[in-house]
Amino acid sequence: MSALMVLLFAVSAWAQNKAVGVFYFTPILGHVHQSPTRTSPSLTTIQCGHPLKVIEDSKVIIGEEWSLVSVADWKGFVWKKHLAAKKPDCIQGRYPKFFDGLSLDLAELYYWGRLHDHWTEGQVKP
Amino acid sequence: MMFSWIFYVVFSAIAQDTTLAQEKELDVVDFQHVKDVLKKDGLMQEVQKKKKEVSQIREIRAEEEKARYLWPSEDDFWPLATEYWLVKEAPLLLWDFDRPDYGLEGSFATVLKTVGMLQKRYRILALNAPAPGHLGLPWSDQEFCLLFSVPFVRAMDLSKLEISLLLLEDVLRLQEGWLKDFARPANLKTLVGSNFQGKKPDYSAFYEVGKSYRKFLNEKGYSFQQQFQITKKMNDLLKSHPDLWNAYVRLLGKIDRLVKGNRQFADYVKLYPSPEMQIRWLAPEEKVP
Repeated sequence: MSALMVLLFAVSAWAQNKAVGVFYFTPILGHVHQSPTRTSPSLTTIQCGHPLKVIEDSKVIIGEEWSLVSVADWKGFVWKKHLAAKKPDCIQGRYPKFFDGLSLDLAELYYWGRLHDHWTEGQVKP
Repeated sequence: MMFSWIFYVVFSAIAQDTTLAQEKELDVVDFQHVKDVLKKDGLMQEVQKKKKEVSQIREIRAEEEKARYLWPSEDDFWPLATEYWLVKEAPLLLWDFDRPDYGLEGSFATVLKTVGMLQKRYRILALNAPAPGHLGLPWSDQEFCLLFSVPFVRAMDLSKLEISLLLLEDVLRLQEGWLKDFARPANLKTLVGSNFQGKKPDYSAFYEVGKSYRKFLNEKGYSFQQQFQITKKMNDLLKSHPDLWNAYVRLLGKIDRLVKGNRQFADYVKLYPSPEMQIRWLAPEEKVP
């Protein structure tokens, strides 16, 4: 009976969370958000190249601009435009010792991540 | 007699065997022979090949380790220094706020396209601080970094087209490179792309950029001559698009009235002198009768 309960629980959890794939974070620094808005609180700060498991949750309905991700113990939201299928060429990767030497404190890491939530980016196409 | 004969035969046989064994041993330690065998088997080449591979791998690893100590290139330096300044100035510029959606992406891209600036990328940051009203910051040749103050545009009730024209002015200033030239550290040329393996990296140039941006905003600002050049360029770009040209004149009029009538924005003219003169420079030249 208990085995059946565990199986039912596992099946319902699987149906609720469907893995879309692993994507990589592209800006220099950023945040996994509590809700899909640019000013929502940060659950955790992440760096360029960080792998994020994109999931679909039947109980969570979000706009096209955001993705639901699972990272470590967190489940939160990241701008879709900040995700890439291939590992990006990060500035930290190009200049690792220079970037480390900046010795950014927690506030700087936090604000640098927030900055990338606030940029409005675009390109003029012919 | 018989016994001694048998003994002789056996002994000589043993002695013969011993000689053969020594000869075999000699064969084994005959290095020339070994070398010949190795040569014949191609093992020497194999050893040489392996040695070469190991040395190549060591060289590659040493190069990779060295590359970790690179100072950023010029193209990477400016975005990094500009972002770092914005991070440090977050408490003053107040960009971490819930801003209204002005729908600028479409409007600004349309304005850039209309004036022929194709294939360019841009990034815009809204500030909740009243100053600077707007500003273009050094980034890369293909990308513009632009700021605008929400209290500033709200005080004049600017449309998205007018904000886009305000930002177009900043694009032209960035193309002139005036702020970049002002903020460029003297030793930057020697640092960009250099390698600091075994040394302490020199961050002075990196930190200096932010100080220069602040100095430019608080003290230097753009000159009348630079403002004249920009106004004339805007005129040239917009004169074949009357709707844009009229919107630009209307925008300058709004700024002029704001800086004269609202003390909160009075310092605007220290950075961008002078909206009143800009309107005059745009006025069609009077024909001599």
